[in-house]
Amino acid sequence: MISRNLSRRNFLRAAGAVTALTAVGGFPADLFAYKRRMAKFPEKTDLILLTSRPPQLETPLSYFREMITPNEALFVRWHISGVPTSIDLSEWRLKVGGNTEKELELSMADLKKFEKVTFTAVIQCSGNGRSLFAPPVAGGEWGDGAMGNVTWTGARLRDILNSAGLKAGTVDVSFNGLDKPPLPTVPDLVKSLPADKAMEEDLIVAYEMNGKPLTMLNGFPARLIVPGWYATYWVKSLSDITVLSKPFEGFWVKTAYRIPETDCGCIPPGTTPKKTVPINRMTTRSLIIDPSGSSGLTLNKPVAIMGVAFSGGRGVQDVLVSVDGGKRWEETRLGADKGKYSWRQFFYEWRPTKPGRYDLMARATDTIGESQPFEGLWNPAGYLWNKVEKTEVVVK
Amino acid sequence: MNKLIILSLLLAVAGLAYAAEKDAVHSIAIPVVRTELKAGEGMDTTGKYCSICHSLDYITMQPEFPKATWTVEVNKMIKVMGAPIPEKDAQTIIDYLAAQYGTGNKP
Repeated sequence: MISRNLSRRNFLRAAGAVTALTAVGGFPADLFAYKRRMAKFPEKTDLILLTSRPPQLETPLSYFREMITPNEALFVRWHISGVPTSIDLSEWRLKVGGNTEKELELSMADLKKFEKVTFTAVIQCSGNGRSLFAPPVAGGEWGDGAMGNVTWTGARLRDILNSAGLKAGTVDVSFNGLDKPPLPTVPDLVKSLPADKAMEEDLIVAYEMNGKPLTMLNGFPARLIVPGWYATYWVKSLSDITVLSKPFEGFWVKTAYRIPETDCGCIPPGTTPKKTVPINRMTTRSLIIDPSGSSGLTLNKPVAIMGVAFSGGRGVQDVLVSVDGGKRWEETRLGADKGKYSWRQFFYEWRPTKPGRYDLMARATDTIGESQPFEGLWNPAGYLWNKVEKTEVVVK
Repeated sequence: MNKLIILSLLLAVAGLAYAAEKDAVHSIAIPVVRTELKAGEGMDTTGKYCSICHSLDYITMQPEFPKATWTVEVNKMIKVMGAPIPEKDAQTIIDYLAAQYGTGNKP
Protein backbone atom coordinates (compact mmCIF):
# COMPACT_ATOMS: atom_id res chain seq x y z
CA MET A 1 0.00 0.00 0.00
CA ILE A 2 2.86 2.36 0.73
CA SER A 3 4.17 2.07 -2.82
CA ARG A 4 0.71 2.90 -4.09
CA ASN A 5 0.63 6.01 -1.95
CA LEU A 6 4.04 7.18 -3.04
CA SER A 7 3.29 6.54 -6.66
CA ARG A 8 0.14 8.59 -6.53
CA ARG A 9 1.80 11.33 -4.60
CA ASN A 10 4.74 11.52 -6.95
CA PHE A 11 2.35 11.67 -9.80
CA LEU A 12 0.50 14.59 -8.30
CA ARG A 13 3.73 16.46 -7.79
CA ALA A 14 4.37 16.11 -11.48
CA ALA A 15 0.76 16.87 -12.36
CA GLY A 16 0.32 17.37 -16.03
CA ALA A 17 3.65 15.84 -16.94
CA VAL A 18 2.61 12.85 -18.95
CA THR A 19 6.21 11.68 -19.10
CA ALA A 20 6.06 11.06 -15.36
CA LEU A 21 3.48 8.36 -15.94
CA THR A 22 5.99 5.93 -17.30
CA ALA A 23 7.94 6.22 -14.06
CA VAL A 24 4.92 5.26 -11.96
CA GLY A 25 5.09 1.60 -11.14
CA GLY A 26 2.29 -0.75 -10.26
CA PHE A 27 -0.58 0.93 -12.12
CA PRO A 28 -1.21 1.11 -15.83
CA ALA A 29 -0.16 4.53 -17.06
CA ASP A 30 -3.37 5.05 -19.01
CA LEU A 31 -5.39 4.65 -15.82
CA PHE A 32 -3.60 7.59 -14.25
CA ALA A 33 -3.75 9.59 -17.43
CA TYR A 34 -7.48 9.11 -17.36
CA LYS A 35 -7.81 9.86 -13.68
CA ARG A 36 -5.71 13.01 -13.58
CA ARG A 37 -6.62 15.29 -16.43
CA MET A 38 -5.94 19.00 -16.37
CA ALA A 39 -8.74 21.43 -17.16
CA LYS A 40 -9.25 25.17 -17.39
CA PHE A 41 -12.50 26.43 -15.93
CA PRO A 42 -13.74 30.05 -15.97
CA GLU A 43 -11.66 32.45 -13.81
CA LYS A 44 -9.32 29.56 -12.99
CA THR A 45 -5.97 28.48 -14.37
CA ASP A 46 -5.21 24.90 -15.45
CA LEU A 47 -6.08 22.72 -12.48
CA ILE A 48 -6.26 18.98 -11.89
CA LEU A 49 -9.73 17.85 -12.94
CA LEU A 50 -11.40 15.47 -10.53
CA THR A 51 -14.94 15.96 -11.78
CA SER A 52 -16.62 18.43 -14.10
CA ARG A 53 -20.29 18.31 -12.97
CA PRO A 54 -20.35 19.51 -10.30
CA PRO A 55 -16.82 20.92 -10.65
CA GLN A 56 -14.06 19.57 -8.43
CA LEU A 57 -10.64 20.97 -9.31
CA GLU A 58 -7.39 20.44 -7.45
CA THR A 59 -4.42 22.81 -7.13
CA PRO A 60 -1.06 21.55 -8.44
CA LEU A 61 1.40 21.57 -5.53
CA SER A 62 3.81 23.95 -7.28
CA TYR A 63 1.44 26.83 -6.37
CA PHE A 64 2.17 26.19 -2.70
CA ARG A 65 5.65 27.64 -3.14
CA GLU A 66 3.85 30.95 -2.65
CA MET A 67 2.68 32.17 0.73
CA ILE A 68 -0.68 33.18 -0.76
CA THR A 69 -2.51 30.94 -3.19
CA PRO A 70 -3.60 32.92 -6.27
CA ASN A 71 -7.36 33.13 -6.83
CA GLU A 72 -7.13 31.41 -10.20
CA ALA A 73 -5.22 28.48 -8.66
CA LEU A 74 -7.39 27.86 -5.58
CA PHE A 75 -9.12 24.45 -5.55
CA VAL A 76 -12.82 24.14 -6.35
CA ARG A 77 -15.29 21.79 -4.74
CA TRP A 78 -19.06 21.75 -5.26
CA HIS A 79 -21.42 19.03 -4.02
CA ILE A 80 -24.54 19.17 -6.17
CA SER A 81 -24.72 19.88 -9.87
CA GLY A 82 -26.94 22.98 -9.82
CA VAL A 83 -23.96 25.28 -9.45
CA PRO A 84 -24.65 29.04 -9.76
CA THR A 85 -23.22 30.37 -13.02
CA SER A 86 -24.88 33.78 -13.28
CA ILE A 87 -25.58 36.16 -10.42
CA ASP A 88 -27.09 39.62 -10.72
CA LEU A 89 -25.62 41.63 -7.85
CA SER A 90 -28.43 44.16 -8.09
CA GLU A 91 -30.84 41.37 -7.14
CA TRP A 92 -28.69 39.19 -4.89
CA ARG A 93 -29.62 39.43 -1.20
CA LEU A 94 -28.34 37.65 1.90
CA LYS A 95 -31.43 36.81 3.93
CA VAL A 96 -31.12 36.46 7.69
CA GLY A 97 -34.05 35.19 9.71
CA GLY A 98 -35.56 32.43 11.79
CA ASN A 99 -35.30 32.82 15.56
CA THR A 100 -34.38 36.52 15.29
CA GLU A 101 -35.84 39.83 16.40
CA LYS A 102 -36.07 40.97 12.78
CA GLU A 103 -35.50 39.65 9.29
CA LEU A 104 -32.69 41.09 7.17
CA GLU A 105 -32.26 41.20 3.44
CA LEU A 106 -28.73 42.45 2.90
CA SER A 107 -27.51 43.70 -0.46
CA MET A 108 -23.78 43.69 -1.20
CA ALA A 109 -23.74 47.41 -0.32
CA ASP A 110 -25.41 46.60 3.03
CA LEU A 111 -22.88 43.84 3.70
CA LYS A 112 -20.03 46.25 3.04
CA LYS A 113 -21.43 48.67 5.66
CA PHE A 114 -20.47 46.30 8.45
CA GLU A 115 -16.94 46.68 9.87
CA LYS A 116 -14.52 45.31 7.31
CA VAL A 117 -12.35 42.46 8.59
CA THR A 118 -9.33 41.00 6.79
CA PHE A 119 -7.18 37.99 7.69
CA THR A 120 -5.30 35.16 6.05
CA ALA A 121 -6.63 31.65 6.58
CA VAL A 122 -6.03 28.19 5.18
CA ILE A 123 -9.03 26.80 3.36
CA GLN A 124 -8.93 23.01 3.20
CA CYS A 125 -11.43 20.41 2.04
CA SER A 126 -12.31 17.77 4.66
CA GLY A 127 -11.24 15.11 2.15
CA ASN A 128 -7.85 16.60 1.25
CA GLY A 129 -5.44 13.64 0.92
CA ARG A 130 -8.25 11.10 0.61
CA SER A 131 -6.47 9.28 -2.25
CA LEU A 132 -3.68 8.43 0.22
CA PHE A 133 -5.96 6.38 2.51
CA ALA A 134 -5.23 2.69 2.93
CA PRO A 135 -7.44 0.80 2.52
CA PRO A 136 -8.86 3.26 -0.04
CA VAL A 137 -12.18 4.99 0.59
CA ALA A 138 -14.80 6.26 -1.85
CA GLY A 139 -15.26 9.97 -2.48
CA GLY A 140 -13.46 12.84 -4.16
CA GLU A 141 -10.04 11.30 -4.68
CA TRP A 142 -7.98 14.36 -3.78
CA GLY A 143 -4.21 14.37 -3.57
CA ASP A 144 -2.78 17.10 -1.30
CA GLY A 145 -4.03 20.01 -3.40
CA ALA A 146 -7.52 20.56 -1.97
CA MET A 147 -6.19 23.43 0.12
CA GLY A 148 -4.83 26.93 -0.16
CA ASN A 149 -3.85 30.00 1.87
CA VAL A 150 -5.97 33.02 1.08
CA THR A 151 -6.47 36.52 2.49
CA TRP A 152 -10.19 36.93 3.08
CA THR A 153 -12.14 40.17 3.58
CA GLY A 154 -15.70 40.45 4.77
CA ALA A 155 -18.16 41.24 7.52
CA ARG A 156 -18.20 39.47 10.88
CA LEU A 157 -20.96 36.88 11.03
CA ARG A 158 -21.46 37.93 14.66
CA ASP A 159 -22.15 41.54 13.62
CA ILE A 160 -24.69 40.35 11.06
CA LEU A 161 -26.40 38.06 13.59
CA ASN A 162 -26.43 40.80 16.22
CA SER A 163 -27.96 43.15 13.70
CA ALA A 164 -30.82 40.67 13.26
CA GLY A 165 -30.90 40.03 17.03
CA LEU A 166 -30.80 36.43 18.27
CA LYS A 167 -33.84 35.45 20.32
CA ALA A 168 -33.59 33.35 23.47
CA GLY A 169 -33.45 29.61 22.89
CA THR A 170 -31.14 29.80 19.86
CA VAL A 171 -29.27 26.51 19.37
CA ASP A 172 -27.89 26.33 15.83
CA VAL A 173 -27.43 28.61 12.82
CA SER A 174 -27.81 27.15 9.33
CA PHE A 175 -26.31 28.37 6.06
CA ASN A 176 -27.64 27.83 2.55
CA GLY A 177 -26.10 28.85 -0.77
CA LEU A 178 -27.41 29.32 -4.29
CA ASP A 179 -26.41 25.84 -5.48
CA LYS A 180 -29.38 23.60 -6.23
CA PRO A 181 -29.80 19.82 -6.29
CA PRO A 182 -30.35 18.20 -9.70
CA LEU A 183 -33.53 16.46 -8.50
CA PRO A 184 -35.96 17.30 -5.67
CA THR A 185 -35.00 13.99 -4.03
CA VAL A 186 -31.34 15.03 -3.72
CA PRO A 187 -30.57 16.83 -0.42
CA ASP A 188 -29.73 20.52 -0.89
CA LEU A 189 -26.38 21.57 0.56
CA VAL A 190 -27.24 23.30 3.83
CA LYS A 191 -24.74 23.40 6.69
CA SER A 192 -25.04 24.46 10.30
CA LEU A 193 -22.90 25.55 13.21
CA PRO A 194 -23.68 25.55 16.91
CA ALA A 195 -24.79 29.09 17.86
CA ASP A 196 -21.79 29.68 20.15
CA LYS A 197 -19.43 28.79 17.28
CA ALA A 198 -21.34 31.07 14.91
CA MET A 199 -20.96 33.94 17.38
CA GLU A 200 -17.17 33.61 17.71
CA GLU A 201 -15.26 36.72 16.68
CA ASP A 202 -13.33 35.36 13.69
CA LEU A 203 -16.09 34.00 11.48
CA ILE A 204 -16.82 36.26 8.53
CA VAL A 205 -19.03 36.46 5.48
CA ALA A 206 -16.29 37.13 2.91
CA TYR A 207 -16.85 39.10 -0.27
CA GLU A 208 -13.19 39.36 -1.26
CA MET A 209 -10.39 36.85 -1.71
CA ASN A 210 -6.88 38.30 -1.99
CA GLY A 211 -8.39 41.76 -2.44
CA LYS A 212 -10.63 40.83 -5.38
CA PRO A 213 -14.27 39.70 -5.60
CA LEU A 214 -14.63 35.94 -5.12
CA THR A 215 -14.39 33.91 -8.29
CA MET A 216 -17.74 32.36 -9.21
CA LEU A 217 -16.46 28.85 -8.58
CA ASN A 218 -15.09 29.84 -5.16
CA GLY A 219 -18.43 31.21 -4.01
CA PHE A 220 -19.23 34.57 -5.62
CA PRO A 221 -20.55 36.91 -4.34
CA ALA A 222 -20.04 35.96 -0.66
CA ARG A 223 -19.14 32.87 1.33
CA LEU A 224 -18.85 31.92 4.96
CA ILE A 225 -15.33 31.70 6.40
CA VAL A 226 -14.87 29.51 9.48
CA PRO A 227 -11.11 29.78 10.01
CA GLY A 228 -9.47 26.73 11.57
CA TRP A 229 -12.38 24.47 10.57
CA TYR A 230 -12.69 22.40 7.43
CA ALA A 231 -14.13 24.11 4.36
CA THR A 232 -17.34 22.04 4.39
CA TYR A 233 -18.72 24.83 6.61
CA TRP A 234 -17.51 27.63 4.35
CA VAL A 235 -20.79 27.74 2.41
CA LYS A 236 -20.37 29.32 -1.02
CA SER A 237 -22.65 31.80 -2.85
CA LEU A 238 -24.37 32.34 0.47
CA SER A 239 -28.07 33.25 0.26
CA ASP A 240 -29.72 32.33 3.57
CA ILE A 241 -28.69 32.38 7.21
CA THR A 242 -31.33 30.83 9.45
CA VAL A 243 -31.22 31.00 13.23
CA LEU A 244 -32.69 27.86 14.79
CA SER A 245 -34.25 27.15 18.17
CA LYS A 246 -33.93 23.39 17.55
CA PRO A 247 -30.87 21.35 16.53
CA PHE A 248 -30.32 21.34 12.76
CA GLU A 249 -31.41 18.05 11.21
CA GLY A 250 -30.22 18.46 7.60
CA PHE A 251 -28.48 15.66 5.71
CA TRP A 252 -25.12 17.40 5.25
CA VAL A 253 -24.59 17.71 9.01
CA LYS A 254 -26.66 14.90 10.51
CA THR A 255 -25.55 12.17 8.06
CA ALA A 256 -22.66 13.45 5.96
CA TYR A 257 -19.36 15.05 6.99
CA ARG A 258 -19.07 13.14 10.24
CA ILE A 259 -16.03 11.65 11.93
CA PRO A 260 -15.76 8.85 14.51
CA GLU A 261 -16.27 10.09 18.06
CA THR A 262 -12.80 9.05 19.21
CA ASP A 263 -9.83 11.14 20.37
CA CYS A 264 -8.12 10.88 16.97
CA GLY A 265 -11.31 10.87 14.86
CA CYS A 266 -10.00 7.54 13.64
CA ILE A 267 -10.88 3.86 13.94
CA PRO A 268 -9.14 0.61 12.90
CA PRO A 269 -8.96 0.52 9.08
CA GLY A 270 -11.97 -1.07 7.43
CA THR A 271 -14.21 -0.93 10.51
CA THR A 272 -17.40 1.05 11.22
CA PRO A 273 -17.55 3.75 13.91
CA LYS A 274 -19.89 3.22 16.88
CA LYS A 275 -20.63 6.92 17.29
CA THR A 276 -19.90 9.92 15.11
CA VAL A 277 -19.79 13.70 15.47
CA PRO A 278 -19.79 16.47 12.84
CA ILE A 279 -16.30 17.15 11.47
CA ASN A 280 -14.90 20.40 12.84
CA ARG A 281 -11.36 21.70 13.53
CA MET A 282 -8.58 20.87 11.06
CA THR A 283 -5.76 18.60 12.15
CA THR A 284 -2.16 19.85 12.20
CA ARG A 285 -0.47 19.27 8.87
CA SER A 286 2.71 19.91 6.91
CA LEU A 287 3.79 19.25 3.37
CA ILE A 288 7.17 19.39 1.66
CA ILE A 289 6.78 21.26 -1.63
CA ASP A 290 10.45 21.45 -2.69
CA PRO A 291 12.19 19.34 -3.69
CA SER A 292 9.40 17.44 -5.36
CA GLY A 293 9.65 13.68 -5.55
CA SER A 294 10.55 13.90 -9.19
CA SER A 295 13.62 16.13 -8.74
CA GLY A 296 17.06 14.64 -9.25
CA LEU A 297 19.55 16.12 -6.77
CA THR A 298 23.29 16.69 -7.17
CA LEU A 299 25.93 15.52 -4.69
CA ASN A 300 27.43 18.24 -2.44
CA LYS A 301 25.08 20.87 -3.84
CA PRO A 302 22.79 22.60 -1.33
CA VAL A 303 19.13 21.59 -1.53
CA ALA A 304 16.54 24.14 -0.40
CA ILE A 305 13.85 22.11 1.35
CA MET A 306 10.67 24.17 1.55
CA GLY A 307 7.11 23.49 2.53
CA VAL A 308 4.00 24.71 4.30
CA ALA A 309 2.52 23.88 7.69
CA PHE A 310 -0.72 24.81 9.42
CA SER A 311 -3.04 23.77 12.21
CA GLY A 312 -6.69 24.00 13.14
CA GLY A 313 -6.41 27.69 13.97
CA ARG A 314 -3.79 27.46 16.72
CA GLY A 315 -0.76 28.58 14.74
CA VAL A 316 2.41 26.56 14.18
CA GLN A 317 4.99 26.14 16.95
CA ASP A 318 7.67 24.41 14.90
CA VAL A 319 8.34 22.19 11.92
CA LEU A 320 11.03 19.51 12.01
CA VAL A 321 12.56 17.95 8.92
CA SER A 322 14.25 14.58 8.44
CA VAL A 323 16.30 13.63 5.40
CA ASP A 324 16.86 10.01 6.45
CA GLY A 325 13.34 8.65 6.70
CA GLY A 326 12.74 9.80 10.26
CA LYS A 327 15.86 8.71 12.16
CA ARG A 328 17.20 12.21 12.82
CA TRP A 329 15.20 15.43 12.91
CA GLU A 330 16.37 19.00 12.37
CA GLU A 331 14.70 22.29 13.19
CA THR A 332 13.61 24.43 10.27
CA ARG A 333 13.42 28.17 9.83
CA LEU A 334 9.85 29.40 9.77
CA GLY A 335 8.75 32.13 7.34
CA ALA A 336 6.54 35.15 7.99
CA ASP A 337 3.81 34.79 10.60
CA LYS A 338 0.51 35.91 9.07
CA GLY A 339 -1.60 34.89 12.05
CA LYS A 340 -2.82 31.68 13.61
CA TYR A 341 -5.13 30.73 10.74
CA SER A 342 -2.54 31.15 7.99
CA TRP A 343 0.00 28.58 6.99
CA ARG A 344 3.69 29.09 7.76
CA GLN A 345 6.38 28.33 5.26
CA PHE A 346 9.34 26.33 6.53
CA PHE A 347 12.87 26.25 5.12
CA TYR A 348 15.83 23.96 5.64
CA GLU A 349 19.08 23.85 3.70
CA TRP A 350 20.46 20.37 3.21
CA ARG A 351 23.77 19.40 1.59
CA PRO A 352 23.74 15.71 0.64
CA THR A 353 27.26 14.29 0.89
CA LYS A 354 26.55 10.71 -0.20
CA PRO A 355 24.79 9.50 -3.32
CA GLY A 356 21.68 7.39 -2.96
CA ARG A 357 17.99 7.44 -2.22
CA TYR A 358 16.67 9.65 0.58
CA ASP A 359 13.29 9.91 2.26
CA LEU A 360 12.50 13.52 3.19
CA MET A 361 9.89 14.07 5.89
CA ALA A 362 8.38 17.07 7.69
CA ARG A 363 6.45 17.16 10.93
CA ALA A 364 4.64 20.21 12.30
CA THR A 365 3.48 20.87 15.86
CA ASP A 366 0.90 23.50 16.74
CA THR A 367 1.01 25.84 19.73
CA ILE A 368 -0.72 23.38 22.08
CA GLY A 369 1.51 20.46 21.10
CA GLU A 370 -0.78 18.76 18.57
CA SER A 371 1.34 17.14 15.89
CA GLN A 372 1.17 14.63 13.04
CA PRO A 373 1.05 10.81 13.11
CA PHE A 374 3.61 8.61 11.36
CA GLU A 375 0.91 6.17 10.33
CA GLY A 376 -2.16 7.34 8.43
CA LEU A 377 -5.15 7.60 10.76
CA TRP A 378 -8.15 5.96 9.12
CA ASN A 379 -11.86 6.79 9.05
CA PRO A 380 -14.47 5.57 6.57
CA ALA A 381 -15.11 8.91 4.84
CA GLY A 382 -11.44 9.77 4.29
CA TYR A 383 -11.23 12.94 6.41
CA LEU A 384 -8.59 14.60 8.65
CA TRP A 385 -5.59 13.28 6.67
CA ASN A 386 -2.35 14.53 8.24
CA LYS A 387 0.13 11.67 8.12
CA VAL A 388 3.84 12.58 8.03
CA GLU A 389 4.46 11.79 4.38
CA LYS A 390 7.69 10.80 2.67
CA THR A 391 9.17 12.51 -0.36
CA GLU A 392 11.57 10.15 -2.07
CA VAL A 393 14.53 11.83 -3.79
CA VAL A 394 17.66 10.50 -5.48
CA VAL A 395 21.08 12.12 -5.09
CA LYS A 396 23.65 11.50 -7.84
CA MET B 1 -29.26 65.24 -39.89
CA ASN B 2 -31.15 65.98 -36.68
CA LYS B 3 -32.75 62.58 -36.86
CA LEU B 4 -29.32 60.99 -37.12
CA ILE B 5 -28.07 62.82 -34.00
CA ILE B 6 -31.14 61.84 -32.01
CA LEU B 7 -30.78 58.27 -33.13
CA SER B 8 -27.09 58.28 -32.14
CA LEU B 9 -27.93 59.72 -28.74
CA LEU B 10 -30.63 57.14 -28.18
CA LEU B 11 -28.23 54.38 -29.09
CA ALA B 12 -25.57 55.77 -26.76
CA VAL B 13 -28.01 55.98 -23.83
CA ALA B 14 -29.22 52.46 -24.51
CA GLY B 15 -25.61 51.29 -24.67
CA LEU B 16 -24.78 52.87 -21.31
CA ALA B 17 -27.86 51.36 -19.69
CA TYR B 18 -26.94 47.98 -21.10
CA ALA B 19 -23.36 48.29 -19.81
CA ALA B 20 -24.57 49.24 -16.32
CA GLU B 21 -26.89 46.27 -16.21
CA LYS B 22 -24.19 43.99 -17.55
CA ASP B 23 -21.76 45.16 -14.83
CA ALA B 24 -24.12 43.94 -12.09
CA VAL B 25 -24.39 40.48 -13.63
CA HIS B 26 -21.52 38.09 -13.18
CA SER B 27 -21.71 35.02 -15.41
CA ILE B 28 -19.53 32.10 -16.33
CA ALA B 29 -19.99 29.16 -18.68
CA ILE B 30 -18.83 25.88 -17.19
CA PRO B 31 -17.15 23.69 -19.81
CA VAL B 32 -18.60 20.30 -20.61
CA VAL B 33 -15.94 17.64 -20.24
CA ARG B 34 -16.75 14.24 -21.70
CA THR B 35 -15.75 11.11 -19.84
CA GLU B 36 -16.02 7.75 -21.56
CA LEU B 37 -16.87 4.73 -19.50
CA LYS B 38 -15.08 1.46 -20.21
CA ALA B 39 -17.00 -0.76 -22.63
CA GLY B 40 -18.77 -3.65 -20.92
CA GLU B 41 -22.15 -5.08 -20.05
CA GLY B 42 -24.20 -2.45 -18.23
CA MET B 43 -22.23 0.54 -19.51
CA ASP B 44 -25.27 2.26 -21.02
CA THR B 45 -27.45 1.74 -17.95
CA THR B 46 -24.65 3.01 -15.71
CA GLY B 47 -24.02 6.05 -17.88
CA LYS B 48 -27.71 6.87 -18.20
CA TYR B 49 -28.57 6.83 -14.48
CA CYS B 50 -25.36 8.11 -12.92
CA SER B 51 -25.12 11.09 -15.26
CA ILE B 52 -28.54 12.38 -14.20
CA CYS B 53 -26.86 13.92 -11.15
CA HIS B 54 -23.12 13.97 -11.85
CA SER B 55 -20.45 13.61 -14.51
CA LEU B 56 -19.04 10.15 -15.07
CA ASP B 57 -15.56 11.11 -13.90
CA TYR B 58 -17.02 10.55 -10.41
CA ILE B 59 -16.76 6.87 -11.34
CA THR B 60 -13.48 6.89 -13.19
CA MET B 61 -11.58 8.72 -10.41
CA GLN B 62 -12.33 6.03 -7.81
CA PRO B 63 -9.72 3.47 -6.80
CA GLU B 64 -10.53 -0.16 -7.58
CA PHE B 65 -13.10 -1.31 -5.04
CA PRO B 66 -14.37 -4.77 -4.17
CA LYS B 67 -17.95 -5.46 -5.25
CA ALA B 68 -19.15 -4.99 -1.66
CA THR B 69 -17.95 -1.37 -1.72
CA TRP B 70 -19.57 -0.65 -5.10
CA THR B 71 -22.80 -2.14 -3.71
CA VAL B 72 -22.64 0.21 -0.72
CA GLU B 73 -21.91 3.18 -2.98
CA VAL B 74 -24.75 2.51 -5.44
CA ASN B 75 -27.20 1.91 -2.59
CA LYS B 76 -26.01 5.13 -0.96
CA MET B 77 -26.78 7.01 -4.18
CA ILE B 78 -30.32 5.60 -4.20
CA LYS B 79 -31.28 5.65 -0.51
CA VAL B 80 -29.30 8.63 0.73
CA MET B 81 -28.67 10.84 -2.30
CA GLY B 82 -32.08 10.31 -3.88
CA ALA B 83 -31.10 8.73 -7.23
CA PRO B 84 -34.18 7.35 -9.05
CA ILE B 85 -32.73 3.95 -10.02
CA PRO B 86 -35.04 0.89 -10.21
CA GLU B 87 -33.78 -2.19 -8.37
CA LYS B 88 -32.96 -4.30 -11.43
CA ASP B 89 -30.99 -1.46 -12.99
CA ALA B 90 -29.16 -0.90 -9.71
CA GLN B 91 -27.92 -4.49 -9.86
CA THR B 92 -26.77 -4.00 -13.47
CA ILE B 93 -24.85 -0.88 -12.39
CA ILE B 94 -23.22 -2.65 -9.43
CA ASP B 95 -22.15 -5.57 -11.63
CA TYR B 96 -20.75 -3.22 -14.26
CA LEU B 97 -18.80 -1.10 -11.75
CA ALA B 98 -17.39 -4.14 -9.98
CA ALA B 99 -16.32 -5.67 -13.30
CA GLN B 100 -14.87 -2.55 -14.94
CA TYR B 101 -13.78 -0.35 -12.03
CA GLY B 102 -13.29 -2.86 -9.27
CA THR B 103 -11.65 -5.98 -8.13
CA GLY B 104 -14.48 -8.06 -9.66
CA ASN B 105 -15.99 -10.50 -7.19
CA LYS B 106 -12.85 -10.68 -5.08
CA PRO B 107 -13.45 -9.49 -1.52
